Amino acid sequence: MTIKREKQKEPVNTQSYTKATFITQIVMTVVALLFVAPILIIINYSFKTKKELYLTSPLSLPSSFQTENYRKAFDKLDLSHTFVNTFFYTFVSVLILALLCGMTAWAIARCRAKFFKFCYIYFIVGILIPFQALFLPIYIIGYKMNLTNTRYGIIFMYVATGISFGVFLMNSFMTTVPLELEEAARIDGCSVFRTYFSVVMPLLKPAIATLVIMQAFQIWNDYLLASLYVSKKNLKTLTVAIQSLFSAQTSDYTTAMAAIVISVLPIAILFMSMQKYFIKGMTVGAVKG
Amino acid sequence: MKKKLLSVVLCTAMLVPTLAGCGGGAEAPAETPAETPAAEAPAVEEASETEDAPAAEADSSGEAVTLTVLAGQSTTDAGIEEMIDEALAKAYPNITLEWECVDWGNDFQPKMQQYMQSGLPDIMIGKAQDVATYAPQGILGEIDAQYLDRGLDAARQNVTIDGKTYGLVYNALYQGVYYNKDMFAENGWSVPKTQAELQAIIDDCNAKGIKPFASHMVDTWSIGNVTMQFAMNDVFNNDPTWGDKFRAGEVSFADDKMMQTAYQYNKLIYDNTYPETFSTEQTDCDAKMVMGEAAMKVSGSWSIQNFLDIDESFNFGIFPFPNQTGDSKLIFEPNITIMTSAESEHQDAINCVLDVLTGDKELAVEIYDYTKTAPMLKDVTPTFTNPSQADIDEYAANNMIVDVTLGNNQLVWGGFQEENAKDIAAWLQGDISFEDCLAASDARVDASSAN
Amino acid sequence: MEKKLEKQYFAMVFPGFVIFTIGLIIPLMLAVRYSVTSWDGMSKVKEFVGLQNYINLCKDADFRSAWWFTIKFTIGNTIIQNVLALLFAVALDSGIKAQKLYRTAFFVPCLISSIIVGFVWLKMFSNVLPEINELLGTNINFLLFGSGRTVLAGLLIANNWQWIGYWMLIYLAGLQSVPADLYEAAKVDGAGPISRFFNITIPMLAPAITICVVGITTGSLKVYDLLVASTKGGPGRASTSVIYQTYTTAINGRQYGYGSAMSVTLVLALLLVAVIQVKGLKSKEVQA
Repeated sequence: MTIKREKQKEPVNTQSYTKATFITQIVMTVVALLFVAPILIIINYSFKTKKELYLTSPLSLPSSFQTENYRKAFDKLDLSHTFVNTFFYTFVSVLILALLCGMTAWAIARCRAKFFKFCYIYFIVGILIPFQALFLPIYIIGYKMNLTNTRYGIIFMYVATGISFGVFLMNSFMTTVPLELEEAARIDGCSVFRTYFSVVMPLLKPAIATLVIMQAFQIWNDYLLASLYVSKKNLKTLTVAIQSLFSAQTSDYTTAMAAIVISVLPIAILFMSMQKYFIKGMTVGAVKG
Repeated sequence: MKKKLLSVVLCTAMLVPTLAGCGGGAEAPAETPAETPAAEAPAVEEASETEDAPAAEADSSGEAVTLTVLAGQSTTDAGIEEMIDEALAKAYPNITLEWECVDWGNDFQPKMQQYMQSGLPDIMIGKAQDVATYAPQGILGEIDAQYLDRGLDAARQNVTIDGKTYGLVYNALYQGVYYNKDMFAENGWSVPKTQAELQAIIDDCNAKGIKPFASHMVDTWSIGNVTMQFAMNDVFNNDPTWGDKFRAGEVSFADDKMMQTAYQYNKLIYDNTYPETFSTEQTDCDAKMVMGEAAMKVSGSWSIQNFLDIDESFNFGIFPFPNQTGDSKLIFEPNITIMTSAESEHQDAINCVLDVLTGDKELAVEIYDYTKTAPMLKDVTPTFTNPSQADIDEYAANNMIVDVTLGNNQLVWGGFQEENAKDIAAWLQGDISFEDCLAASDARVDASSAN
Repeated sequence: MEKKLEKQYFAMVFPGFVIFTIGLIIPLMLAVRYSVTSWDGMSKVKEFVGLQNYINLCKDADFRSAWWFTIKFTIGNTIIQNVLALLFAVALDSGIKAQKLYRTAFFVPCLISSIIVGFVWLKMFSNVLPEINELLGTNINFLLFGSGRTVLAGLLIANNWQWIGYWMLIYLAGLQSVPADLYEAAKVDGAGPISRFFNITIPMLAPAITICVVGITTGSLKVYDLLVASTKGGPGRASTSVIYQTYTTAINGRQYGYGSAMSVTLVLALLLVAVIQVKGLKSKEVQA
């Protein structure tokens, strides 16, 4: 553990700013601009009126800075519900996943009984199951257990579909947890649970951070499960609401664009403000994967 | 490490109040059965509206009832639920509708499949062709004649199975060739009745550098839709049971010249539209039409909203796409069609809703104006300006209109027309031959009927 | 003692095990069961037809072409995304200024839902980019979604735009944990930048490469959301993926049993691919 920490603190690049770096800088600037361009175009569209959208060039700026589209998007998306719902589902699911995956992965890694070996394979297989293709059985199970159109139902499904990746990820981190510490705790008479929660879990924090990040995006952006499980108006999520803005006929593009901006903004801000932690979490994932 | 922990704690602390605010229902469902959280909200709303509303009529017990409604809508329909809520609150304040609005094309069928496993909503709003799909499953309730009688008879036939009517048709879309009236006048073109006349206009267009047709083939549904329009006039008008014969093996796409003609019209359009049609969406396509870049567009009433959105003074008309025999009829498609569950516990309340829908003329006009559609209720006239209304009235007066539900029941949309349209697209793009395209339709015979 | 511990361990695994089994494994079992019936997804009867659905699958040209598209899409993604993500990571790690800014620029697209990404690129290809042609007087074919021949390229662009930043971050993280003294030592030995890249960077990144390759491959094989709001599987069937085909068959086509057979086939294929990849890549890791 101590060795690893030192590694991270070490300055990674000792190279100086050479001509080659300068060229790289220019090339990357161009590439980055290309990456950002579609987003700028979304933002530009979101301020145009319907007429402007059809009659003027897509690249031209809106004639006036009008926020009508945003007002409409707020209305049509029923943001007071959808936004809060999406946030709530994401938050709770990720919380449960963080708790559950660590526990499960640790038990699997530590206990040598055959059942746990089987469990590992069992969970890993889940990564490969395209739940998109299983939607009717997933629904049938859901309604038989009274899970459909409930908040806990959709959270249950997010946990069920996310857990296999979570266990896989956490399991690959287990080698970073020194056995000696656990054994010491065991000798002190700690139960398995105490050992996990007081000794192991704190050590797993970077891994948990990675897990949280990866799952949060997935759940925030999920479309299929949400459309399947929570279709009632007051339970709907943002993605489902947005999708209904650009369906078959007479799509209302300008409103849709404003809606996209609204939906991406919070999570983009979250990313930018917590970038440091994101990267840190991922470092461990990539090195110890 | 400590810093990080601190930030996590801080974040959590910040989030908790937000959750507490939103999660009133969020904590409750953990213990209560599924239905509760959803039922609460509407009840509150209702209470506030009850006060100054007129007393409920005799046939509703006055007890608060919440009906579930699954509405498969086109985008043009989105928003009518609020109008209905409002009208219902005035007439029957004890009844609340709990809406679930989905896109008809993508999500209605999956939702119905879902609910057939778990129990249907009390009311379903779909299209007339849905009746043929679901009624034979024995899950739809019969609609009371009292409400049906307030509607036009024309639409009733195709939602009636074995003498029982399972759908209440509320409005209709007209389908045919929308044309730029001013452009037709300037160039001295008159409405074509035969293929030869249409070809003459196309030739003149091409000579003058005008695109004859606007189209948006990026939407496969639009290919399927116009193909059915063609088939209505060239196939089903002569042979209303073509689909049955097809399934009996008497006719096939590979042999039937008339059906092939219907397919071939797609090529006529494709050859006379913008080269980028497979990248042009409907809104862009309609914009081009309005701006005078194209003379005609094979489409349905859903285009009207777009046309008028872009230019409220755009002057357009409609005529049926000419068939080989020169006797094409204008096509109408029953759109909003109300179906009810056979097993609902709230049949009385459902009837109250039907009563409002069919009896409240103010509401009806509001909905027709909003959706820019034609009424299917007696004695209701929408007030929106529809430049093509004069044409529609003329065809209707001469009995030159036909219900496309006939064709959609003979050859279903999902799994058949929809899939055929993909083959037609591939054929137009030159990826497969015309023969392959026909053979693919023939191979799909088992999927051609809803049952 | 050992038994008691085992019980406690079991208690830790149990909740996850149950949730996972109910939420995913039982539905999978149900799908396997439906796949041997001719169920339409609606009626009460589920008639047993044996392996007929699977036999029909082998003859189904549409299903084959869906597979063909999915495979091309997956291979394209795996190669392009890995190479570009790695290149971008190396470039960002080369000491350029304002690294954070670039990181954000590349990463933001993956915060957007695939449904929206599809929609945005539909607009890009059909409206925005052709306008650039007009501005510059060039004649580049930007209508990538408009033809069966170019739709794959268009979807690859959209998908890579969305995900490169994500995988880049993982590579970047890997790069930054490569001890600098390894490079110093190699420099002293006279190794050039290219030789250093292949002899130090790549082997040190092996775990990250495993994650990325497996992640991208299995993700691409499951592509569905991206198509919903963009090409809808078209033009024709040119961009119909296996899941898209499964969905339209089972739902719109009311052939639930047949559709289930398709999804079972897909699960098997995914398993196979993942096992091969993990085995192959892990063996490389050991060598390194």
